[in-house]
Amino acid sequence: MNKENIVEIHHLQKSFDHGKITALNGIDLEIKKGEFVSIIGPSGSGKSTLLNMIGALDKADTGSIVVSGNDLIHKKDLSEFRSRKIGFIFQLHNLIPNLSVLENVEIPMYEKKMSSSQMRKRALELLEYVGLSDKLKRKPTELSGGERQRVAIARALANEPSIILADEPTGSLDSKTGAMILNRLKDLHEKENVTLIMVTHDMDVASLADRTIRVLDGKIQN
Amino acid sequence: MSFFSLIIKNPFRNKTRSALAIVGIAIGIATIVALGIITDGLKASTEETLKAGGADFSIAESNVSDLFFSKIDEEYIARIKEVDGVNDVVGILMAIQRVEDNPYFVLIGIDPAKLSISNIKVTEGRAFAAGDAKEVIIGKVASEKLNKTVGDTITLNREEYKITGIFQTGDLQQDGGAFLSLENVQAIENKNDTVTMLYVKIDNDAQVEEVTAKIEEEYGNDLTTIASLEDLASIDQGLQTIDTASWAISLLAIVIGGIGVINTMIMSVYERTREIGVLKAVGWKDRRILSMILGESIVLTLVAGLVGAIMGIMGIQVLLALGMDSFIAPVYSADVFIRAFAVALSVGLLGGFYPAYRASRLPPTEALRYE
Ligand SMILES: Nc1ncnc2c1ncn2[C@@H]1O[C@H](COP(=O)(O)OP(=O)(O)OP(=O)(O)O)[C@@H](O)[C@H]1O
Ligand SMILES: [Mg+2]
Repeated sequence: MNKENIVEIHHLQKSFDHGKITALNGIDLEIKKGEFVSIIGPSGSGKSTLLNMIGALDKADTGSIVVSGNDLIHKKDLSEFRSRKIGFIFQLHNLIPNLSVLENVEIPMYEKKMSSSQMRKRALELLEYVGLSDKLKRKPTELSGGERQRVAIARALANEPSIILADEPTGSLDSKTGAMILNRLKDLHEKENVTLIMVTHDMDVASLADRTIRVLDGKIQN
Repeated sequence: MSFFSLIIKNPFRNKTRSALAIVGIAIGIATIVALGIITDGLKASTEETLKAGGADFSIAESNVSDLFFSKIDEEYIARIKEVDGVNDVVGILMAIQRVEDNPYFVLIGIDPAKLSISNIKVTEGRAFAAGDAKEVIIGKVASEKLNKTVGDTITLNREEYKITGIFQTGDLQQDGGAFLSLENVQAIENKNDTVTMLYVKIDNDAQVEEVTAKIEEEYGNDLTTIASLEDLASIDQGLQTIDTASWAISLLAIVIGGIGVINTMIMSVYERTREIGVLKAVGWKDRRILSMILGESIVLTLVAGLVGAIMGIMGIQVLLALGMDSFIAPVYSADVFIRAFAVALSVGLLGGFYPAYRASRLPPTEALRYE
């Protein structure tokens, strides 16, 4: 295995409904540490499934997948891996409605051995980074779509992940707000050297990445 | 925010649903608390009646379903006195009479010379005379209720009795009633030569166990000795029934409350499916999700426990205000509240476990796809 590769996937297969639906049909993919990769492809082609495999949200059927040195096919404690290595950003922000902005950003930190004040301090830093220091006490419903997505970015960064996985992060935003979110992510990638893997439908958005991968029918197109 | 604060916050997201669950469980808890307070009061006053003051133990008729129905021939007073180790014996006859607007006024007939063997202190006036003189002493509580004092008269069974004194025992049931001569109560009740119970005082060097054993051996067919509340519980079916009933109600409250909690928590987990997916995506362990949901369920039931305890106490106050104070002497023991909270906790644990387990086992991708 190449030491520079943070993601190494070989012949990865995944099907649903007892093999009736083949979502991934032999994926081979290598992503370098610090790379910004965009994944495009038609609806139902398997983009989200691939992202979920990298983020250890689901297990593959066959093949191999090694992320940040962890063999995800055989690893037992996947939640621990997610907590240490991965930051997820979804199309819908998925914030917890009864918690404030600040509390939402603290959520991933419960699995770390952090005191409440440490958690708070870190969340404040992150919210400052995404420019929401003035809205700490607001509930998600009291925010705009772009603001919510910025909270989601702050939450994804909470545990200092080495990889950020973003599934259509601008999919539900207007183009101007979307551009702002993308700038945030690109800035993060450039300044912090975080590996960024982003699924998108939008060719313009995809072109911001160092490299674009096309998925079709569960396979990568060259 | 601490994990604990998060757990406390969550159950109040859907206020109506949580409030309904809380009320449901609280009613069960309130019943347990109220019943417990009444039973404890009953036990305390029964114990008081039994061990009245200077007596070492009591004797009642054997095989009666309730102490109140006990009937002993007066002859036994002399016979028991002959038993080795017995120092003194007094027979009392209990009766219930309507007095003014209280239908459950307790009358106790006793030889006034033996008042000291009972726990009675005459705080005002003097004791009543023996024989058929129409004299009576009434308890402090009764005196306040009837607004009568020494020198006034009271009508018992259509006859006027002169109040010669006011007494206090500390037992609500007795303090709400009256003492008069045995002969008078026997006449009122038409129970000549009969008493309800015997109070026995033993010699200083005698042992209660030995004396009771002797009496049981000799007169066991007719009489039973009661030296403790346990002895009483074994002959008094009233107390037994109440005890069984309060256990049955506790069990029922656990089952019904448990089903309510399962239902509430399953709904709550179901609504938060996506959110649980997110928690897994950000790295929460299954165990943390389990503790969160279980914790929420326990928060819910402990709040219900608190509300229920308050409702139970208020219920008792209402009963007292409605005039049941002549036969409810509430005893607020820690035991009752510990039991109520133990029930609340078990309901929370039992009812919360299944939904919490389900939530913790949700596959994250399924949860995130959930609309
Ligand atoms: N949990 C699941 N159960 C059953 N089928 C699934 C599941 N997840 C994905 N699929 C199926 O697998 C295929 C790939 O799905 P995936 O979500 O990866 O597509 P996608 O490329 O992300 O599409 P979109 O652009 O619409 O988000 C689809 O046919 C989808 O219906
Ligand atoms: Mg998708």
